[in-house]
Amino acid sequence: MQTQTTTGDYIVEMVGITKRFPGIIANEDVTIRIRKGEIYALLGENGAGKSTLMSMLFGMYEPDEGEIFIRGKKEKITSPSYAASLNIGMVHQHFKLVSNYTIAQNIILGAEPTKKLLGFIPIVDEAKANREIAEISRQYGLEVDPTAVIEDVNVSTRQRVEILKMLYRNAEILIFDEPTAVLTPQEIDSLLGIIRALRDGGKTIILITHKLEEIRQVADRCAILRRGKLIDVRDVPGMDAREMAALMVGHEVQLTAEKSAAKFGDPVLEVSHLVVENEEHFQTVRDVSFTVHAGEIFSIAGVSGNGQTEIADAVAGRLKAKSGTIRLHGQDITNMSIRQRTLAGISYIPEDRQQVGLILDFTLRDNLGLKDYHKEPFQKSGMLNQPVFEENSEKLIDGYDIRSANRGSTMVRSMSGGNQQKAIIGREIEQDASLCIFVQPTRGLDIGAIENIHRQIIAERDKGKAVLLISLELDEVTELSDTIAVIYSGAFGRIAPAEDYTTSMLGEYMMGVAKDNAKNGGGNE
Amino acid sequence: MNNGRLYRRIAVAAVLLSLLAGTVLMLILGKNPFLAYYNLLQGSGLAPKAKYAAARSMWTDLSSFIDFWTPMIFAALACAVAMKTGLFNIGISGQMLVAGFLATITIGYSGLSAYLAKPLVILIGMAAGMAVGALIGFLKYRFNINEVVSSIMLNYIAEYIISFFIQTRFVDPVSRQSKNIGAAARLTLQDVAIGGYKFSIPLAFVLAVIACVLVKIMLDRTVLGYELKAVGANRTAAGYAGIRVGRSMIVSMAISGALAGLAGVSYYLGYFASIQPKVLVSTGFDSIAVCLLGSSDPVGILFSSFLIQVIAKGSTYMSSQQGLESEIVSVITGLILLFSACSAFFMGLVVSRKNAKNNTKDLRFGDEAETAPAAVTAAVNRPAEDKGGEEA
Repeated sequence: MQTQTTTGDYIVEMVGITKRFPGIIANEDVTIRIRKGEIYALLGENGAGKSTLMSMLFGMYEPDEGEIFIRGKKEKITSPSYAASLNIGMVHQHFKLVSNYTIAQNIILGAEPTKKLLGFIPIVDEAKANREIAEISRQYGLEVDPTAVIEDVNVSTRQRVEILKMLYRNAEILIFDEPTAVLTPQEIDSLLGIIRALRDGGKTIILITHKLEEIRQVADRCAILRRGKLIDVRDVPGMDAREMAALMVGHEVQLTAEKSAAKFGDPVLEVSHLVVENEEHFQTVRDVSFTVHAGEIFSIAGVSGNGQTEIADAVAGRLKAKSGTIRLHGQDITNMSIRQRTLAGISYIPEDRQQVGLILDFTLRDNLGLKDYHKEPFQKSGMLNQPVFEENSEKLIDGYDIRSANRGSTMVRSMSGGNQQKAIIGREIEQDASLCIFVQPTRGLDIGAIENIHRQIIAERDKGKAVLLISLELDEVTELSDTIAVIYSGAFGRIAPAEDYTTSMLGEYMMGVAKDNAKNGGGNE
Repeated sequence: MNNGRLYRRIAVAAVLLSLLAGTVLMLILGKNPFLAYYNLLQGSGLAPKAKYAAARSMWTDLSSFIDFWTPMIFAALACAVAMKTGLFNIGISGQMLVAGFLATITIGYSGLSAYLAKPLVILIGMAAGMAVGALIGFLKYRFNINEVVSSIMLNYIAEYIISFFIQTRFVDPVSRQSKNIGAAARLTLQDVAIGGYKFSIPLAFVLAVIACVLVKIMLDRTVLGYELKAVGANRTAAGYAGIRVGRSMIVSMAISGALAGLAGVSYYLGYFASIQPKVLVSTGFDSIAVCLLGSSDPVGILFSSFLIQVIAKGSTYMSSQQGLESEIVSVITGLILLFSACSAFFMGLVVSRKNAKNNTKDLRFGDEAETAPAAVTAAVNRPAEDKGGEEA
């Protein structure tokens, strides 16, 4: 599409890159040219080939066709360490940190400054490391405490550590892979600030994302990828979000979910004075009361780690309630087992789809039967009925568009995150339970998949199901909810119909700035 | 599905490679490797020896080999059931001993008729092993005691308490072992004369083969097996699905213990007729290697236990015929075990060669990497999934 010549203007040029995997073309004749000192965004759905393209720049794969030029010089990047020697660094979506090491130890790991003890015994010069790290963090506004241990610090600090790791190694070209997927809105703002500061400090930033908003805020230019092909490269100032979204997914997207007015039925879930303690006897949920009605989407909004997942786990039976009662259709389920609750009518899409929701080393077929295997006709007198499993799996795969290499026989581990989530959602919705708990149902998914899941959640509500939605994405909460409870530090700040909130109000309650008395909950009653 | 096939192919390759390594070693020592391996087969009754002592033949050797093979099948199955549930039963030897001892003193020394005694021996053996296994599972479930620790401790407890009773109550003053059990209770029919030769017929072998089939069916086709495997593959997700994880672990250890109990009675009341005090048989520990070599699969175990026991039984004859020091024989058997145990490594090698074709270095990366080379990712994370490519 462009000429094969290179000029000195570009720090990174990937020309005519094609990468094939068995059965799939991840990148097809993609050419991108990145200028020194710009923030270059790669926009595309999950599976569009963004990460694969960057993996080739970072030396994790080699392209089948095409050439890579770094600073005008043709390079064959054979390994991440070679990429590092070219001053290319990458912040991965899943952090690669040693959790019981300090921040400084993590940053210097593999590139430790040494000094000689007694003139000949080489030891790590931690004082020097701390000094250098402190200097770099000041320079780019990345405040961290170098002596803090990783397992004690929050996600956004861990991400800063990853960034510092690259800077410590003198990275000039910084690749960020979906950096905001795990952050709260405030943290996202501060990260975007850091990214800008890095650019102003002369670094070149490549930002992999599928969030238009972030691109609008920080990026200079944006390449749009769809199904492995480069669709367009745009200058970000003056770009139209709707058009970008359309380019990304290939058809017009509705950015807000369409939903009819809610018709509340009888109360389905009644939680009163629920208290949950963690292993250290710390109250993660403090005296929370609320009611979810049939035909209602009840959301719990809040910054991650304020007790919302504990509420979901307590309702589903994965955590024991310290005190308080949980009722389903008036029946006290507080002390029931998980299985009894499932049978009583609770389905649950957990936050951690890989560790909780699925057994990765089981086939898709077996995973789709995970909640039903003990029921007839899935089993008869203790013997599994394979044809029924197969039938169930075929039905869900087609019904929920779960894509995998070998349909039901695919190991779930080999499936993409989005398809894993579709499998869980399909399985749980087909439970036909009266209460459906969704925790972070769209985390890390692309717009198409998010839209789809939102439609399904609304459809469940319209079928007269009670929906308990727990999400960190404010857009999701405001779009879908009929009632919103905002949780801060284990207690509800406010429970009110969704239309009574403005986004800034939500933010205030989430940060614990504003507070109502929602103790005896049921602003929605 | 196909993963099994790839695994089998690699296991066979590993065994062949190990034999090759043994060959090299024997060539260096100036021995004829083919002859040595042939001696191995002769020793275990799979090939005829040049001459036999009175009332022996290749077939009698073979029958005694099968007798020797039987406890190993049970023990490896015991290991496999626990392994599939994510538990490590290192107490198989102790469970064998408890089962063997209780069956010996209750039925072995009784005057019950054979038709009554043999089934009772089997039942008591299973029950005793099951009780010990369930106890280990219970300790894990109730007090969160690691099953490795508790089973090793129980091994010692069983060993010393039983030794105490054997030496004070049941000892044979000549052999310094427990007194021989009556023929009626013994699971191996001794000295059955057929065509002038005396055979030992291991009745428990039939049971062992049946146990293989039953365990296979249990794991692959029953609700119980589904639950056990779910607990083994991901305890958190199993709990989320409503499976009672603690109960599954107890049940798994109980089944594992019952199989170990069968190994115990087929060993102490079959292959032997007495118990040596203060000794834990190595069968229980070797069974772990056998189980791993057979990839924890009952059919695989049938083959791997056969291989290991052929080596174990034939090596003495090989050493005497070849004039090889017994240490060298140990080295050769060690090599075979080493190579076989490395089959998982070879598997990884094969898989990474496949990956190399895709220039793939790190596949656990990002969401898209997961979508794109789905098959390859699976292969790396779990050396099991094999897709088309490897045929080429």
